[in-house]
Amino acid sequence: MTLSDPTSNQNAPPTSGAAQSAAPSTFTGVRPKIMTLAIANRGEVAVRIIHACHELGIKTVLLHSEADVGTRAFRMADKKICIGPAPTAESYLLIDRNVQAAKEAGADAIHPGFGFLSENADFADAVEKAGLIFVGPRSETIRALGDKISAKHLIEKSKVPTVPGYMGADQSVETLITHAEKIGYPVIVKAAAGGGGRGMKLLRSRQDAQELIPSAQREALSAFGSAKVFLEKYLDRAKHIEFQVFGDGTGRCVHLFERECSVQRRHQKIIEEATAANLKPELRDQMAKAAVTLAETAKYRGAGTVEFLVQDDHFYFLEMNTRLQVEHPVTELVLGVDLVKAQILTAQGTFQIWKQDDLRPRGHSIECRIYAEDPYNRGLPSTGELIALHWPEGPGRRFEVGFDAGDVVTAHYDPMIAKIIVWDEDRDRAIRKMLQVLNETVIFGVRANLPYLKAILSHPEFMKGAMTTQFINSYFPEGLEPLELTPRQNKIAEALKSLVSRSGTPVSLGNSDPHVLNTKSSPWRGHWRSV
Amino acid sequence: MKTFDVQIDGETIQAYGATSVGLLWVHADGKTFTIETEKRSRRGKTPGGHANPGEVVSPMPGKIIKLMTEVGADVKAGQALLVMEAMKMEYTLKASADAKVSTVDCEAGQQVTLGQCLIRLEV
Repeated sequence: MTLSDPTSNQNAPPTSGAAQSAAPSTFTGVRPKIMTLAIANRGEVAVRIIHACHELGIKTVLLHSEADVGTRAFRMADKKICIGPAPTAESYLLIDRNVQAAKEAGADAIHPGFGFLSENADFADAVEKAGLIFVGPRSETIRALGDKISAKHLIEKSKVPTVPGYMGADQSVETLITHAEKIGYPVIVKAAAGGGGRGMKLLRSRQDAQELIPSAQREALSAFGSAKVFLEKYLDRAKHIEFQVFGDGTGRCVHLFERECSVQRRHQKIIEEATAANLKPELRDQMAKAAVTLAETAKYRGAGTVEFLVQDDHFYFLEMNTRLQVEHPVTELVLGVDLVKAQILTAQGTFQIWKQDDLRPRGHSIECRIYAEDPYNRGLPSTGELIALHWPEGPGRRFEVGFDAGDVVTAHYDPMIAKIIVWDEDRDRAIRKMLQVLNETVIFGVRANLPYLKAILSHPEFMKGAMTTQFINSYFPEGLEPLELTPRQNKIAEALKSLVSRSGTPVSLGNSDPHVLNTKSSPWRGHWRSV
Repeated sequence: MKTFDVQIDGETIQAYGATSVGLLWVHADGKTFTIETEKRSRRGKTPGGHANPGEVVSPMPGKIIKLMTEVGADVKAGQALLVMEAMKMEYTLKASADAKVSTVDCEAGQQVTLGQCLIRLEV
């Protein structure tokens, strides 16, 4: 699969009306200025994009579901259009609904955030067809790099090592076992049509292979509709290192150094940092070069991330994400850049891309994802009204928050309610600062993972920077031990009982007990009253 | 958000506090915790609460992915009973005590609500 060259007219997609100047084939860097931007997303990233728009003097339209009425982004947006009920499949994932709503609201452009439709090439196409600007790469780039198998083939062409594996068409069990032996155990079997860490099995021996390959094929068929599987060497002590790249769409690309995201639970990142904890300069240079080369080959437009696994001083290409990532703030803080403004300016053709030599990281930044879950009960999601919130501001502290006190956290979406990011002169100081910030942060109304984050940050392996993707499995497989209050805590609570008066909870929300949420009550109705 | 000053063993401590139905939320010494302020009736097992070992109750709205036991089976404390999915993650519900499965009130693929009784155990 080749990536089309946008400066040639050969493969120009059909365009009409206002889309003319937005079409890749006529891209000369001169596009209509974006006056109004529609945000096809929610939570803290919607707030983030609104902030960038405010600074650029751009009006905002929030395309939101019914469940996201009582949220910060909703209150901050200039216009709000409801695109459907809470379930993502009936709102955030509907291409036509989002495009129509953005158009009717008078938006010139759409920012897809991350997740949802951000890496859906059909969505990028639909946006452009409707005469709007898609803030992101061209759809053919998304298509080429989004297919994990084709992306691997593409990068292999540039002689960048990929995780050794087998992706052939021959799916007979004998062939698969032969290849597993060739790769060398341990080996993972993955569903080709799968994703998000689901449908994977670990093979440690020929016996495992004989038993689990057929089982993986059966499960793949039932879960994803296709029995096709592929094999990858299992790197059991690898670090997850990713490079932020940025392109202006004409072939000029730079890298914005790396982030390390090795602290993951079931393939979901919890803590990220920039730059990587202990990365040899030669490896950094080689990976940076590979990342930029891949972006240049695609004449990449906008923000992207090239992910690698690093083990025993070898690096392996994992995949490329053609969107802004959750953890982008740590890169912004060590380099002093604003990636979202850069995305928007690139989309309208007025961005002067940074010179590689001007990008020099200073200090260290760490991000913690704040999840509404009970850390003392295996991370079970917690829902309910946020009775009180306190984000302890100070030098080198940044908070990306989707909710204010009084908003209700529901069970419909990812439980991430905020991100806390710190910057300090070096990694040790950044860790200590983050621990201090977590001690001072107050979240009442839902359980949150702050104790879990503190335990991770204080762990000797994390403090040494030696953690790998096995870190959580090895040291926190079941989260934290159930909590027992100390005598001191009981005394404090008893003393407070008489001092604290009942909070004024809106009656129509039912009770705000985090354990028992009345799921029949509509957040819409409750917050209509408090608005 | 303002703090309260409380006297504990001759020391003045600053603490944050707020109440919701039946719970007092406290933040002091860098930690957040809750205590109950009144007796509430509970529907079976709740996260972090006292378990009614006879009932395995859904801790959140979600979908049953896989049943790992059946009526009449003997299970041990900590044994996995079923896997459910919610908020893009999978959770395994386990038996809280040695028991015998008396009824299975759900099936794979079923959408369940918070507090719904999924399996009854005879402890």
